This record gives sequence, C-alpha cells and structure tokens, in this order.
Amino acid sequence: MVDRLLKDDAVQEKGERARMASFIGAMAIADLVKTTLGPKGMDKILQSTGRGRNVTVTNDGATILKSLHIDNPAAKVLVDISKVQDDEVGDGTTSVVVLAGELLREAEKLVNMKIHPMTIIAGFRMAAECAHNALLLKAMDNKEDSDKFRSDLMNIAMTTLSSKILSQDKEYFADLAVDAVLRLKGSTNMESIQILKKPGGSLKDSFLDEGFILDKKIGLGQPKRIENAKILVANTAMDTDKVKIYGARVRVDSMAKVAEIEAAEKQKMREKVQKIIGHGINCFINRQLIYNFPEELFADAGILAIEHADFEGIERLGLVTGGDIASTFDNPESVKLGHCKVIEEIMIGEDRLIHFSGVQMGQACTIVLRGASEHVLDEAERSLHDALCVLSQTVNDTRVLHGGGWPEMVMAKEVDELARKTPGKKSHAIEAFSRALQAIPTIIADNAGLDSADLISQLRAEHHKEQSTAGIDVISGGVGDMKELGISESFKVKQAVLLSATEAAEMILRVDEIVTCAPRRREDMM
Amino acid sequence: MAAASAAQSRKTETYTDTKRRDDVRGVNIAAARAVADAVRTSLGPRGMDKMISSGDQAQEVIITNDGATILSRMSLLQPAARMLAELSRSQDAAAGDGTTTVVVLAGSLLRRAQTLLSAGAHPTAAADSLHRLATRAVEILHSMAIPIELSDRDSLVKSASTALNSKVVSQYSSLLSPLAVDAALSVVDPAHPEILDLRDIRVMKKLGGTVDDTELIHGLIFDKKASHSAGGPTRIENAKIAVIQFQVSPPKTDIEQSVIVSDYAQMDRILREERNYILGMVKKIKASGCNVLLIQKSILRDAVTDLSLHYLAKAKILVVKDVERDEIEFITKTLNCLPIANIEHFRQDKLGHAGLVEEVSVGDTKIVKITGIKDMGRTATMLVRGSNQLVIDEAERSLHDALCVIRCLVNKRFLIAGGGAPEIEMSMQLAAWAKELQGMESYCIKEFAEALQVIPYTLAENAGLNPITIVTELRNRHAKGEKNAGINVRKGQITNILEENVVQPLLVSTSAITLACECVRMILKIDDIVTVR
Repeated sequence: MVDRLLKDDAVQEKGERARMASFIGAMAIADLVKTTLGPKGMDKILQSTGRGRNVTVTNDGATILKSLHIDNPAAKVLVDISKVQDDEVGDGTTSVVVLAGELLREAEKLVNMKIHPMTIIAGFRMAAECAHNALLLKAMDNKEDSDKFRSDLMNIAMTTLSSKILSQDKEYFADLAVDAVLRLKGSTNMESIQILKKPGGSLKDSFLDEGFILDKKIGLGQPKRIENAKILVANTAMDTDKVKIYGARVRVDSMAKVAEIEAAEKQKMREKVQKIIGHGINCFINRQLIYNFPEELFADAGILAIEHADFEGIERLGLVTGGDIASTFDNPESVKLGHCKVIEEIMIGEDRLIHFSGVQMGQACTIVLRGASEHVLDEAERSLHDALCVLSQTVNDTRVLHGGGWPEMVMAKEVDELARKTPGKKSHAIEAFSRALQAIPTIIADNAGLDSADLISQLRAEHHKEQSTAGIDVISGGVGDMKELGISESFKVKQAVLLSATEAAEMILRVDEIVTCAPRRREDMM
Repeated sequence: MAAASAAQSRKTETYTDTKRRDDVRGVNIAAARAVADAVRTSLGPRGMDKMISSGDQAQEVIITNDGATILSRMSLLQPAARMLAELSRSQDAAAGDGTTTVVVLAGSLLRRAQTLLSAGAHPTAAADSLHRLATRAVEILHSMAIPIELSDRDSLVKSASTALNSKVVSQYSSLLSPLAVDAALSVVDPAHPEILDLRDIRVMKKLGGTVDDTELIHGLIFDKKASHSAGGPTRIENAKIAVIQFQVSPPKTDIEQSVIVSDYAQMDRILREERNYILGMVKKIKASGCNVLLIQKSILRDAVTDLSLHYLAKAKILVVKDVERDEIEFITKTLNCLPIANIEHFRQDKLGHAGLVEEVSVGDTKIVKITGIKDMGRTATMLVRGSNQLVIDEAERSLHDALCVIRCLVNKRFLIAGGGAPEIEMSMQLAAWAKELQGMESYCIKEFAEALQVIPYTLAENAGLNPITIVTELRNRHAKGEKNAGINVRKGQITNILEENVVQPLLVSTSAITLACECVRMILKIDDIVTVR
C-alpha cells in the first residue's frame, strides 16, 4: 500500500469519474454556445467582472468562449479548438464546439453500454474519414468561371453574415466584404484591410474606401491637402536629444552660457528637422509626439506633419504606402519613402480624419463601419472579420458546399452506410457519429423555433434521393433547396470543423485520469 | 451521480451564474423598461426635471431634464439597462436632441415585445419585423417632412425654440434660439454647406447676471484676466496679436545644468545677464509691432516671470497667459494667425489683427474680449450667464441641444411637425400596413405600431391632460387626414401643430425611431448573460 503519492491539495480522479467529469464539462460548454448557432441563433451578453463592468453583446462562438472562466480541463480543450478554428479559418467557431459536444454526448451513451473507449475512437476515426471523403466528392469548384465564383463568394458571405447582427443588411455587407477580399488578389494578409469604427449613423452608412484612413489630426498651420505625397514614416523622439546617463549635467558660470546651451539644443532640433526635410518629403508621420517648435518648422516648410500616430497605424501605413519606418535620418538615400496620390482631411460623422488615397499597395482598403452604438459596432466588426476570413480562405481554396445542414446530412448518410457494412462493435460508434452530425441541423431548427424532429426526418428522406440539395430553410420554416436559395459554405471551414471536432472528441475520450496539481502556496493570501 | 454533481459544481464559474433563457430575457426587458420609466416624466414641454446627486465625495448636484445627461449620470449595472443609456448617448451623438424620446420609445417597444413573446412569438421573428417597421416608419416620416432652406432663418429659430421649450430655460427661448441660429449659421463654411462642426462654437459659462444677459460674441473671449501685476495695459485698440508657444523667462535647458557662482560680483553679473536676456526677447517682440501677447501654458518652466511681465508692461503689451494647448487651434483659426514657437520666428506675417482687445468685468471676475477681428475665421463664441451654477449648466446643455437641432437641419434640410403628430401618424399608417401583411409579422407590427403612441400619451400625461381623451382625439383627427394635428400643450387641446410653430428636424425623429428599434432588436436577441473576466 502506497500511502501518499501526491501533495496535500492535489486531487486525483480516476476511470469512470474522470471520464464523467470531462464529458460533462465539454457538454456544458457546447450547450452554452449551442443557442447561437444558425441564422436565428441568439446573442449573449458578456458581462465583465473586471473594472468598468464592460458589457459585450455577441453571437460569435470564439468571442464567448475565450472570455469564459473555465476550470474544467475538457472544457478547455473545446475552447482551444474554437480558438484554433478562429485563427485558421475564421468561421465555424460555434459549429466545431457543438459538434465535438455532440460526439461526446453520443460517446457517453456508448461508454455506458460498456463499449471500450478505444473501440469508440476507432469507429469515430473510420466515420470521420468516410465523412471527409463524402465532402470531397460533393464539393463544387467554380474556379474557372469568375462570375460564378463571385456569386459563390457572395453566397458564402451572406450565409456567414446571416447569423450575425449584420443579417438585415447582409447583401450590402457581403458585397463590401467580397470587394475587399478580391482586392487582396489571393493573399490572406488581413493587415491590409483596415476596419475603422465610427459611432453614429446607421449600419447602412458603412462603406468601403480605397486607400487608408488615419484617425489623427494634421498639425497647426500646415497644408490640409497634398497631392503626389512623399511620405516619411518615422518613430523618433522629436524633443532635444538627451544623454541617457542619469545625473549628467553641465556646469556653467553665467546666464549667457545657459542661453547658449538652450540655443544649441534648439539648433540640434532644427538640424534634425532639416535632415528630415532633406529627404525631399512633403508629409512626415511620427509615432511619437512632435512638439510645438518642430511643428512650426514643418509648417514653415509646407510639410504636413502628423504626430502621435498609434503603432498599429504606423506599421500599416508603412505597409500600404511602401515606406520604411525610419528612426535615423543621416542617410536620405537609404530610407525608402512611402508614396500616395492624395492626402486630405475628410470628415466622417463628427470627426476629422486623414485620408490617404492612391497608395502604392493597391490591395489596401479601409472599411468604415458606422452604427448606432459601440456594441453594435464591435459586433459588426467581429461579424465582418469572420466573413472576410472565410472569403479569403475561399479565394485560396475555391471549393464550396451548400449550407443549411446539407453537408451534415450528406455526411450522415454516407456514415450510416458505412455502419451497415462494418461488422463488430465499431459499427455502434459509427452510427453514433452519424447521429452527432445530424444534431447540427437539429439545433439550427430548434433555435429557429421549428419542429426539429419532423424537419430532420423530412430532410433525411429527401437526402435518400441521389444528388439532393435539400437543407433547412429557416426563413420559411421548412425543407428547401439550398442551391436555389443560394446558401453556401466554404469547404475549408466544414472540413476544419469535422476534423478538429473529431480530434478533440477523441482526445477527451482517451482520458481516464485527471490529476489536479496542488495550487502554488502564496504567503500573502489570507 | 455524486461524481456528476461534483463535476457540476466546479465546471465553470459561469455556469452557476447563468440564468436561463426566458428568465434572462424577462430580466433584461424589465430592467430596460425601468430605465425608460425613470426618464419618462421628463418628456415634453411640461416635463419635469430630475435632480441628480453624485454619490462620490464631491456630492455634486445637477438639475436637468436632458435624457442623455440623466442616464449617463445614473450608475447603472444591469447590462440591458446600460444598453438603454448607450442608446440615449448615440441619439445625442447622432442628433443631439430627442434623447429622452428615444429611450421612452424603446421602453414602450420592449413592453409590447414582452406581450408578443408571452403570446409565443419567436424573438427573432419579432426582431425582424421590428426592422421592417423601422424602415417603413422612416419612409412615412419622409413623406410628412417639409423641406427648408438655410436662408429661412425664421424656421430655424422655430425649431430651435421647440428644442428649448422643454428645458428649464424655456422662458428665454425667444432669446436663446436666435442666438443659437446666428452662431450656427456664422460657422457654416460656404464651401461645405452640408457640414456644421459644433467644435467651432465655443460656449463659455460665467456666473452672475441672468440668462437674459447671454450673448453671442463676434470675436474671442478668454476666461482669465490680462496680467497686470506690473501695470500693463488692459485695453488696446488696433491690436496686433501674437500667439506664442515659447516662454518669456530665463533660459532653461533640457539637460540638467547648474550655474556656479564663486563670488558676489558674479552674482550681479548673472542677474544683469538674465535681465538683458529677457529684455532682448521683449525688444524683438516689440519690434514686430505686436501689442497683444497670448502665451501658451508651459509645464516645464514658467511661461512668464514677474520680470518679463514688467518689461512687457513697459513695452505697452497686453499679456494673457496660461492659454491651454488644445485651445490654440481654435484661437489661431479665429484670429487667422499662426502660432509662434520660437522667438527667432517672430515675424509680422504671423500676427493676427483685431480692432479692440480689452479687459471687461463680468460679475465679479474679469475676462478678456477680442472684437473686430480682421479676416475672422468661421468660429463663434457664446457667453452664457446665469444666477447660479445649476442654471448655467442647464442653460449650456439646452443651448447644446438647440445647436444640435440646427446642425441636424444643416445636414438634412427637412422639418417635421412636433407635438406627437408624427408618432400618431406613423402608428396609424403602420397599423394599416400591418393589415396587408400575413402571419406573425402582421401581428408583431400591429403591436409595435401601437407602441409608438407612447409619445403623445406621455406628452399629454406630463402636461396634466387626460391622456386617453387626447390620444383618441388625436387618432380621430389623423384618421380624418389632418396629418399635422398634434398636442398643443399650452392650450391643452389638439390643434394643427404647424401653425403653433412647433417643429423639429426630420433627422431627430428618424434617428430616434431607427436607433430605438435597433436597440430593442438587440435586447430581444439576447438569451443569456455570461459573466466573464
């Protein structure tokens, strides 16, 4: 008999108990986000317990999950897959968690039937592969036909947006997002799409702008509009250079000398400004403050100077105008200047902003979002971000699928057939996989307040025919033709949902022991 | 089972806190309605004011009738209630007026929504029909609107006074509204006639006198006295004004320095040098012909010293010190001059010119007034007076509302009747439209259309009239085709409200209805409150 293996506060849970704990944790997380799924999904209020008690209203699975306090290890796994899904493809963050949750729910039943977890995992693996193949077969690709491809993109964008706050103006925003993504010409670099939020107006007043907008002011007495601008982007201190050694001081013996030193400091600053002007620029943007004195010098030279730009803005500005960020000015020839056609001050709503148009990097564009309140804007930004991510992924991988529960039904059908062919206990697991897949359309229907049992059976009957395109039409509340309704989803998203959900479920199933380490002692606590 | 419950208890901290769906919605709606009820009584010309006492050390007291101010001062905790406060802030940003209306409207819509939900409507169905309703309502408002021209000063004054009528300062509306109109029109740039930037209008508050003494100043005022500790001039005609961002004081380097004095003779020399240094600066200033100096506040060293003030006074230069850096832009714009950051750059072409700069006494304090500015920029300054701080603050807020009303008219040049007329008209037309629709949508829109009647109902109630009689009569008159029949609060009856000069900008009404609908939709779609980090 070993008396103690672990420290005092460490907890060990074994076998049945451990598995139960992780199942329940994962399912609770899945249940929490379940109601946000689909076009009639609901929103959640996230109330922060921190300072300010900020309130966020959202429908985005990844946002909800990443802000939760979570103690259960299995639940953490689900949050992680949602995060990865967000980073990789941007959308389907809720679906992946819900699917993993449903898989575990089915697995729990099987475990209670005394089927060994490893058998279940084997079955799940076979089923996932079969489902993946089914998806590959059914995916459509309109890469060659650019018109059709654009309409595919539009459909995908609208499907993504329809579950979000932008659903009412989804056509407008889908158009916006598709335009922005097509400008990128295949790159998935989201950096060059800037999303600017300005409260006021309504969502319909949002627009896509070519070029770049900086939320800053132009210095006093400087030109408000510059054509053919040569831009120097810098990160440098514009006050007098200081010796960085503590305690450095000069000793003088008369007031005139002090005045001389002051004049010398001024002169140094003036030289620095002259050097900057020597680059042959007419626009100078600094990340740090530009003080009154250099500002006046710039104004005298007719140079537009912008101070205190935020770091993100500076980097993006360097990127889009094709200039380097400089911090020394001794070698004018080695510094790459940025260029743009016109810099001017524009007004959006109440605020004056600086607009750079005709920038070197043609892909760059800005989406200006307008909306009633900060809540609306934040949520709109999240939704638009999802749509942009999905679209840029689709541009690279042009395969598309129908939406509205269609892919799940197709996969379920194939998996069911596989179950029938497979002998042994594994077939139970494969069947269970098919049931979990069908849970997704069921939840979409439930969220819309429809009779899910009836709808799913209709849908299954419909899918028994070859080449069916039936899915759930939430708007009319029945089974509809997804092809006609133009509800599409990106193949890549679905594939990622399927694979990572299965993997996560498998991982949680394998667990048979949870060891909670003893918390680190803190002396000052209590 | 024990295992399950053990896991349950330590699953997530949030799980125990999570309320279930219908409960959450009910709680949200109840909280939001409570907020709406709190401001309801301040709606309309006979609306009441609220006294808000801040809970912190200062125990500051505000008396106001401005919905946005009330809500922003209430320390709300419930998320849905905070959304209503934000709603009012959005209306303030979008239109500047109607901040109470929008909240009352949202409260009423939520009440109807609750009825719909208990009747079994799906929240998204209600939310979607609300969206259609908003679009339709805006169309109806547009059809009622009357176009105006900016040259039509009377109409502008009329709408400004409608905004002022519900405020404490309503008895001065005949004075304040023309002032607001003049101020606003004087800053509209002919090159961009559709933009009115309210930051170009400065409102300065001064205790003393009554609201009657409020005036619009064609020029600039400083809420500080000219420094005349050394007997400098306080009145200068044909002023040449310099705005300087450097300091007239002994030199100071950025690097730490120390002057070493070894005997008394050196001390004398240093003092003399200091004097010469300052004298040199003052001479340069004087040489440019400048006779008024506005000095920016400096945190690093003294902007002026007694010595430099003395020399400046000798040179007959009027000095205003401690001008804030963020005011510099407004000042230079008004004076049409450039700020000067270095004594070497002190040139005549950077100066501004004005007919008269003088120090005047207002109440028991003194201010500096600059008038007769040559080539004055498009800015305006208003001096608000009042017998106590509360009145002044409220007058300022009211003036802000009036200016916003004019800004709305500049943006969107349409007027619409006030007095509850547009709301009743919308309600009736939408109800008629609902009959053409089918299914749940028709049902929802019918309910929400009735919700709009809360505005005339509350107006009548606050005015001490019988709301039911008034609203039914109003409906009757509108059914007969009198689109502009509204509640005349002064007479306590229904009249053609346009004839009473009660008008408001279209933008206020449209933004109120769209914002209220958007907010209610958002609240309806929430089914969970999750506590997070």
